Amino acid sequence: MGDARRGGCCPPMDLFRSEAMQLVQLIIPMESAHLTVSYLGELGLLQFKDLNSEKSPFQRTYAGQLKRCGEMARKLRFFKEQMLKAGVLPPDSATQVDTNIDDLEVKLAEHESELTEMNANGEKLQRSHNELVEYKLVLQKAGEFFQSAQSRAIEQQREYESQQQSGESMETPLLQDQELSTDSSKQVKLGFLAGLVPREKSMAFERILFRATRGNVFLRQSTVENPVTDPVSGEKIEKNVFLVFYAGERAKAKILKICEAFGANRYPFTEELGKQAQMIAEVSGRLSELKTTIDAGLLHRGNLLQTIGAQFNQWNLLVRKEKSIYHTLNMLSLDVTKKCLVAEGWSPVFATKQIQDALERAAFDSNSQVGAIFQVLHTRESPPTYFQTNKFTSSFQGIVDAYGVAKYQEANPAVYTIVTFPFLFAVMFGDWGHGICLLLATLYFILREKKLSSQKLGDIMEMTFGGRYVILMMSIFSIFTGLIYNEFFSVPFELFGPSAYACRDLSCRDATTEGLIKVRRTYPFGVDPVWHGSRSELPFLNSLKMKMSILLGVAQMNLGIVISFFNAKFFRNNLNVWFQFIPEIIFLNGLFGYLSLLIIVKWSTGSQADLYHIMIYMFLSPTDDLGENQLFPGQKTLQLVLLLLALVSVPWMLIPKPFLLKKQHEDRHRGESYAPLQSTEESLQVDSNHDSHGHEEFEFSEIFVHQLIHTIEFVLGAVSNTASYLRLWALSLAHSELSTVFYDKVLLLAWGYNNVIILVVGIIVFVFATVGVLLVMETLSAFLHALRLHWVEFQNKFYEGDGYKFYPYSFALLEDEDE
Amino acid sequence: MGFLVTTLIFVVIGIIASLCTRICCNRGPSANLYVSPNFGYHCNNMLLDDVSACLSGILVLWAIVYLAQMNPLIVPILNEGE
Repeated sequence: MGDARRGGCCPPMDLFRSEAMQLVQLIIPMESAHLTVSYLGELGLLQFKDLNSEKSPFQRTYAGQLKRCGEMARKLRFFKEQMLKAGVLPPDSATQVDTNIDDLEVKLAEHESELTEMNANGEKLQRSHNELVEYKLVLQKAGEFFQSAQSRAIEQQREYESQQQSGESMETPLLQDQELSTDSSKQVKLGFLAGLVPREKSMAFERILFRATRGNVFLRQSTVENPVTDPVSGEKIEKNVFLVFYAGERAKAKILKICEAFGANRYPFTEELGKQAQMIAEVSGRLSELKTTIDAGLLHRGNLLQTIGAQFNQWNLLVRKEKSIYHTLNMLSLDVTKKCLVAEGWSPVFATKQIQDALERAAFDSNSQVGAIFQVLHTRESPPTYFQTNKFTSSFQGIVDAYGVAKYQEANPAVYTIVTFPFLFAVMFGDWGHGICLLLATLYFILREKKLSSQKLGDIMEMTFGGRYVILMMSIFSIFTGLIYNEFFSVPFELFGPSAYACRDLSCRDATTEGLIKVRRTYPFGVDPVWHGSRSELPFLNSLKMKMSILLGVAQMNLGIVISFFNAKFFRNNLNVWFQFIPEIIFLNGLFGYLSLLIIVKWSTGSQADLYHIMIYMFLSPTDDLGENQLFPGQKTLQLVLLLLALVSVPWMLIPKPFLLKKQHEDRHRGESYAPLQSTEESLQVDSNHDSHGHEEFEFSEIFVHQLIHTIEFVLGAVSNTASYLRLWALSLAHSELSTVFYDKVLLLAWGYNNVIILVVGIIVFVFATVGVLLVMETLSAFLHALRLHWVEFQNKFYEGDGYKFYPYSFALLEDEDE
Repeated sequence: MGFLVTTLIFVVIGIIASLCTRICCNRGPSANLYVSPNFGYHCNNMLLDDVSACLSGILVLWAIVYLAQMNPLIVPILNEGE
């Protein structure tokens, strides 16, 4: 079908037309469905249609299996997280292992429960470890309090005793002994609590304690130097050890509550020094024990993660494949007998054999008694657009696709974009020094392609890397245009022979007033170096580049219209050839083609004629004599003919096509009422499609308005698009002027000072300005303008771009997607 | 080198490049980067198309600049400083 439809006039061309597609129907026996889909996924040349779009995800056949896969994917994510935390990296090599998905599910579940248990145990151990550490701290700090307090008390007592013994004086109260004895008998039992409180809360803690007990507590705090791991939260916090003395049970209850509120952990503590030392020893022993347990646990966990990590990538791949297979199976509809699955999808015609092969293999491998049935359906639906691109062409195709995906089998502008895009870019970026810089940069990308494509790059780097072949072409072309413009970082070289100009006489007196004179043949390649820096450089280059822009623009727009001719031929649309292509080409060339002709004639004859004047008066008073502006004999007649042709071509474009379309439509309708009977199978297909797509309403007014818009757009566009190509001149002028400024005002100025430091600074500024402004920003702006010229001025002549892309079900695409 | 000579050079380069692409392309689909795997035999036409477009592009650019300088209406006037 596809080959027959490839137009006879133009040879078949890869990438020019999208691949011929067909809608295929597969009837797959239930038992081999899974294997079939998996083989098709490996092939990656079939785009399944969703036949259950009215069903919600839960109502579909394989919802349960999908859920299972989702669960496995969750487990794998959990493992990945754990591995990341533990610093275990899964190896990149993805050797294929034949693991059954059911085995894998069991294995994953085992590993998960093992890992969670280990994590829980580890956490518990860690917690008690932290508690013990805190306890040890409390023991040490509080022990210090008691020791210091006790030693002070002993001192005081000794002092007191010595006082008593020495001073049996008059001042000694008589009742002292009695008091003391009563004191000891009625002694209030002082209780105390020890613990740790976070440092930032310690002030508030103290205050609240004081208020709550009306000052009837005695609080001692001591800071812990190093932050302590909190057993509850597991975070490192700076803490204080506190010791509260209180009297009475009520006070104790209050203090306990306050401790709880402040998150202060309390630990048991004894007064006796001996017991304290014993406890410290005990705690230290337990600590070291716990430590070894934790270490052993961690080691075990690390080993487990290692074993998981070794196969993680394969498992991940397997699960993702499985999930996508069930997802695809869910798009198939169940046969009435419930024994078969029916799939519909688009595939390229060339893949028919491969798909059939895959089906056969699947049927054989799954020991199915019946093979899958493959048949091609006929439909009026528009197939998806599929271009087989490679790494070189894909970025150019991307430029076109960013505007719009081509209609099915429409002429693909990417074929021309490969050349014209870098070419127009280079016209705006003509400097072979800058071109070489770009070339080196992009060669770096291309030579290290393998390495760079596997690793993650930044956003901007990614984009540059993706467009490396575009940039390669751009840089090669800009080296060429740089040679033509004779600019190397804005400096001209006499590479192709001596300049054609010389002084009028030996004294060279009037070289600055009258100018030089042409003495030799024209400089053979590119712009004569003598123009650089002369006073007449700008007038000369402006006139040259402006005319050049018009010439290139008219050429590219003509190319666009010619492609529309190929499209019309290809789709057998003679109306478009006769009532769109021909008047368009006459109109454009009658006006701007003629202008291009005038430009070339003027150049080659060296005439002084004013082209503006000619063009303007061609419309205002076409019958007037041209006078001194005449470039060739018979020009006036030619102008009259061209003007008339252009005027005629406007109604030619506008009026006949809608009427002819109407007539065609009526003819078709008359034919339809007495159509010959079609073969049964086909008529069924056609009928089912007919209801949705058949009888399209023919609105004459709508068609006419559409044609009117098209005509107006083309006529006005011919003028405005030609003017739009002047951006080539503007940007190329800006580029050369900027680089001249950087060279003259930075590098040469710095050179003039004869000072090494100034020179170095000047060179640095020059390099940064060249890289930043010229190589990055100018490249971007020239790129954008070239993009615009392609999208608007070139593609609107022929490109519809209302198709949709072919997304085959493919495992290869699956991997990219998830990254 | 006159206009015709250089044009001829361009044309010769064009023919050589086209021949090269034909020869390179026929070496087999895997031998070069330009060919997509399945449709190796079609690529010739597209490559030739691109090569010819490319050469006509650079020929046109050169010709424009050459023509513009053939019969100068303005001549270079040197700056005072030089």
